[in-house]
Amino acid sequence: MQDNITSLLKAIADPTRREIFHALVVAATSLPIMQVATNFNISRQGVTKHIKILENAGLVTITAQGRERFCAATPAPLREIDKWISTYDKFWNNSLNNLESFLDKS
Amino acid sequence: MRDSIIKERTLNHPIDIVWKAITNAEEITKWFLRADFKAEKGYNYVFNSTGEDCSPIKGTVLEASPYQLTYTWIVEENPIETIVTWTLEPIDGGTKLILSHTGITNYAGETAVSMFTSFDGGWDNCIAGLVVYLKPMIHAG
Repeated sequence: MQDNITSLLKAIADPTRREIFHALVVAATSLPIMQVATNFNISRQGVTKHIKILENAGLVTITAQGRERFCAATPAPLREIDKWISTYDKFWNNSLNNLESFLDKS
Repeated sequence: MRDSIIKERTLNHPIDIVWKAITNAEEITKWFLRADFKAEKGYNYVFNSTGEDCSPIKGTVLEASPYQLTYTWIVEENPIETIVTWTLEPIDGGTKLILSHTGITNYAGETAVSMFTSFDGGWDNCIAGLVVYLKPMIHAG
């Protein structure tokens, strides 16, 4: 759990990685890493580095087919962050309910 | 990825009453968290939770002019800065309240994890006390 969230937050902190991840989600299928690199107009090394970080966070899986390596989006881990944010969400909802009650009785 | 929480409420109360409720220490203590608070730019405030094992929240008032109140929000055990802003707007028959809490994904790494676990149930504890406190007052009123 601990390492998951650390690497998740690192992975989504970078706008290029968010775009790569988004593209893979939209593609809904495995794409060759080369093709991703072409689409984003960045070097193969650059895109590989980003994809490795996404893989480390569990947001992307990489599979080798022959000499080509394919990557696919696996967005499920994002739910952990969502759960975390939703706790704050709940906190503010409760607090604002309390404020309303307070105002109603004063 | 969502980095902020924004809440809007329409309140059937005059704007100055609502402003007082969110800026006056005594009133904040009644509905929110036990407060050492002054609505003055630069004031270092403390919110203490009523529950057990609830870390205090500390921060600095960045802006406090009617009707916008902004302060940093730092949970003491995880000293990462987030920002809370209250904005009030007068509307027909009351006040529109907009609350925003930004920078939540600043809780990176280890911090994120302990926040995650401490909020997971911990916060319910900290605010449950308030609900218990308010209920008899509502019925009395």
